[in-house]
Amino acid sequence: MELREIVNILECQNHTCQELLLRDIQYCYATDMMSDVLKSCKIGSLLITGLVNQQVIQIAEIMDLKGIIFASGKVPSQEVIDKSKEKNLPLLTTEKQLFDACGILYTFGLRGKEIIQKADDGSGNSI
Amino acid sequence: MGQEILYNKSFNIIGKDFANAGSVSVKIKKILKEIKIKPDIVYRVSICCYEAEMNAIMYAKIAELNFTISANEAVIKIEDEGPGIENLELAMKEGYSTATQEMREMGFGAGLGLPNIKNNSDEFKIDSELLVGTKLYIKINLN
Repeated sequence: MELREIVNILECQNHTCQELLLRDIQYCYATDMMSDVLKSCKIGSLLITGLVNQQVIQIAEIMDLKGIIFASGKVPSQEVIDKSKEKNLPLLTTEKQLFDACGILYTFGLRGKEIIQKADDGSGNSI
Repeated sequence: MGQEILYNKSFNIIGKDFANAGSVSVKIKKILKEIKIKPDIVYRVSICCYEAEMNAIMYAKIAELNFTISANEAVIKIEDEGPGIENLELAMKEGYSTATQEMREMGFGAGLGLPNIKNNSDEFKIDSELLVGTKLYIKINLN
């Protein structure tokens, strides 16, 4: 899904260049803890977070994140916005809460990582 | 180990310098990409480096991070002057953190710093002395 579709779905405000919204997003990750991103996030994911500081930009660079959405109406400082522009990192904000933003994107098919379908064992309990 | 050193650089890190936090790791990541190290190795080295750098910024007064690449391995050595780690066993446990409220508000204190380094390295040594400082040796094989 292109980032611009996510902008529409979550009614985001874009703080960086429009062209960056053509990026294709396959995976998302949500956390407020930086080490969580380093431990579990898939490389190249879209990060949804409530943490609004420049550490997020550094983490994005380390993990080649394709973009950041700040949830719950949190707005980054001009310094963070400038830094993300410098690094061609899409930076979006949404009024939606973190949980809701994740849930909505999930219904549109985005995932944190591949979900391995379990074989149907006939019990009706397969996922 | 008798291996030819292809790159060696030391970086100074100043405690509580949050404005520049992560910049050493980003520089090292760029170097690794430039010399065409495999992407999965680039991420492992960068993650180790970032966690080590952030630990120094959060807890130490001052630190030196030395980064070396030879044909087969990348080595990060970081030596700080700081409070040291009181209980190494606990510090290595996922979820355990001594981060302050201020650090937590910045997104740190998940209790994953040292475990992330251990999980992404091929060799990891830690030596800490209370009220003196902490030394980390992190090796990642390139092949």
